[in-house]
Amino acid sequence: MPTILRPVNLHAACGNLPGMTDDNSIGSLVAAFGRESRWRVTGLLLCAIALDGCGAGSGEGLDIAGRPLAEGGDVPLAATLESIQVNVFDASCIDCHAGAAAPLGLRLDAPNSYTNLVGVPSQQNSSLLRVDPGKPDSSYLVQKLEGTASEGGRMPLGGPSVPDSTIAFVRQWIADGALPTETGELDGPTVVVSMEPPPSSILRSLPAEIVVGFDREIDASTINLFTFLLDRSVDGVFGNGDDLALSPASVAASPANSRVAIVDIGSIDPAEDTYRLTVTGSGPNIVLSVAGVALDGEFAGSFPSGDGVEGGDFVATFSVEGVQATLESIQANVFTPSCAVAGCHTGPAGPSLPAGMDLSSADASFANLVGVDSQQSAGDVRVVAGVADASYLVRKLEGTAAVGGRMPIGAAALDATTIAAIRAWIDAGAER
Amino acid sequence: MKDVARMMRLAGVIFGVFFSLQDVQAEPYIAVETGLRCGTCHVSPSGGGMRTAYGNIYSQTDFVAHKLGDHKPWTGEIGRYFAVGGDARWGWVRQDVPGQPAEESTDLEEFLAYVQIKPFPKYFSLYIDAKVLPDDAVVREQYAKLNLPGGEWWVRAGEFFLPYGFRLQDDEAFIRQVSGINYNTPDAGWELGYESGKWSAQLAVTRGTAGGPEVDSGKQYSARVSYVRQDWRVGGSFNFNDAAAGDRQMQNVFAGLNTGPLTWLAEVDYIIDDGAPTGRRKLWASLVEANWGYRQGHNLKLTFEWFDPDDEVDEDERNRVSLVWEYAPIHFMQGRVGYRRYDGIPQNAAQNREQFFAELHLWF
Repeated sequence: MPTILRPVNLHAACGNLPGMTDDNSIGSLVAAFGRESRWRVTGLLLCAIALDGCGAGSGEGLDIAGRPLAEGGDVPLAATLESIQVNVFDASCIDCHAGAAAPLGLRLDAPNSYTNLVGVPSQQNSSLLRVDPGKPDSSYLVQKLEGTASEGGRMPLGGPSVPDSTIAFVRQWIADGALPTETGELDGPTVVVSMEPPPSSILRSLPAEIVVGFDREIDASTINLFTFLLDRSVDGVFGNGDDLALSPASVAASPANSRVAIVDIGSIDPAEDTYRLTVTGSGPNIVLSVAGVALDGEFAGSFPSGDGVEGGDFVATFSVEGVQATLESIQANVFTPSCAVAGCHTGPAGPSLPAGMDLSSADASFANLVGVDSQQSAGDVRVVAGVADASYLVRKLEGTAAVGGRMPIGAAALDATTIAAIRAWIDAGAER
Repeated sequence: MKDVARMMRLAGVIFGVFFSLQDVQAEPYIAVETGLRCGTCHVSPSGGGMRTAYGNIYSQTDFVAHKLGDHKPWTGEIGRYFAVGGDARWGWVRQDVPGQPAEESTDLEEFLAYVQIKPFPKYFSLYIDAKVLPDDAVVREQYAKLNLPGGEWWVRAGEFFLPYGFRLQDDEAFIRQVSGINYNTPDAGWELGYESGKWSAQLAVTRGTAGGPEVDSGKQYSARVSYVRQDWRVGGSFNFNDAAAGDRQMQNVFAGLNTGPLTWLAEVDYIIDDGAPTGRRKLWASLVEANWGYRQGHNLKLTFEWFDPDDEVDEDERNRVSLVWEYAPIHFMQGRVGYRRYDGIPQNAAQNREQFFAELHLWF
């Protein structure tokens, strides 16, 4: 930390000023003020501050991001999050994207970058994930770095672009599955570090594949239909005898990343149910690292898996649910993605909020719908608790309202199953 | 104690300079130069965005090198209840980063459109500030504002830019970039304001997500007070963001001074960020800007900025020095040509870049 106002050589820095005493101090300069035009004195003083008091750091003992080498030091550029964190995010992004003031809540400092990026929808373009594992071209992060995003400026905003050679490492990291850490060959058992879809997640539809990340390279021959088992509960409960075993089209190591296994479930009947993936670390068929270290699979809800001892299966579930007849489900599956999109039913009251109807949260939707008169159709109520047929919301969604277009306006109409769930919620009393 | 002492010392520098020179007064420099509050020329009391009728007239008369005849000036007012406006900026920039090929770009930087609806002109208005181009349209500000009887107090609710320090046009200035309060980060909530005589004050309570959706129950509290005289002004700001991801507290002092041909701006910001990877981090950012209006319609701007990203880490500080010539030949038009030099730690090339830029700014 340089001294802000250390004794300065004002004569040398800014030239002599009539009336200054020989002690060459700030006080002498101020004393001279009355004898010289004030703007010149001001200029000289600030010139002195600029030239002497606030120099740039020498960088001694720091890494490229300006952090002490003792915190980890320089990391060579590589297609790993650790390297990208230091060489890209820390070096170019966190002046803005850090702390509580990070734009759009997107914090890119070390503890937050992974969870804010990987698998997280972009707020500027909700059809894209910020980082879509395995898909650099459709990852919004890459588009922002390369300046091809549909919205906003190229990042770093106002700064020099990140060199293409550096972006290539970001692309490769994403193509490799966007794993959270570079681990190399480690001591201890093999563990699972990520899964997409995330464990315990609730999805609207069955994904085409399940991606499982490990902390090290896996022996590809141990990634197969005997070590990756998939079933579904049928009734929401596993282990009561009616579980249904499923047959993925394939199970294989990612061609781009030998730490990632991909389970292809694109051909499976996309039933609404709870699905369970088991990756075996015990029994006759187990997942092994290339060094022959067995999976330590026990999973307690957070990554990495394991109890520190080789052996044990990794078991995680996820659910596929359509829209349920509850406001929470309707909010998550209908209002938030289809109505409260930018420029429509979201935000505070104001001229740009259609019909003054904010549908951006369950509380807001309840307050703006249930028992509230329609602004568009006098005499109608948006949601009449217990009577879906009398609710203006239903007419707007079914396209039978006398005024205005069918909602969501400008987008595909909701399917009959979804509307039926909304009807059921209303008929059941439209409870909060 | 070290921080308090440093804050007091920096504040002393600013206050000392401006008060001791007595005829001190402060884009924000125009407000300082004219001795007016931001809200005199801009619809938003905090400055920026749509111009008021006065702001429009000023920009066609005293601001430009050549006034065009005796035409009736454009005020933006369409009748009594409606007003419109806009800004468009095209820019060319060349960035020279050591060890890398020079990078040039020419873009439409922004086309902004403003609409104000005044159902009760004296008391109540609705305002929208939207970026129309480039890319998709985005609403930056949208709020309803109520002026209370007496005219001194007002309240607005909606989405708006927060009151904190000087509202510089340059979002990449350290004091705006590091504070995170700039033209990229409107926030939603409400704001109470007071404008009377020499005082201007605002208090805002907002989501604290910098334009993002609400993610926790914590709010952001922003306050700014300024004392405005004909040739000088001084003020301070405070901001506290109660965030689950880590609280952030910011405070600054700022001042403006008109010394005849030169108009000065200065601001020092001190930020305590509890959400840093290494725990609490304390940051400093400052700006001193001199504007020399050597002829009407011309302005030469010299800016020195300093940023310390971590008070506990030595030798990580950065500088930014800018020299910009601004020329407004006729109404609704301004050109800007500039050079900017960044000085930072040598191991980070981007922190030691040079920038040459030119901009054409049109407005109505």
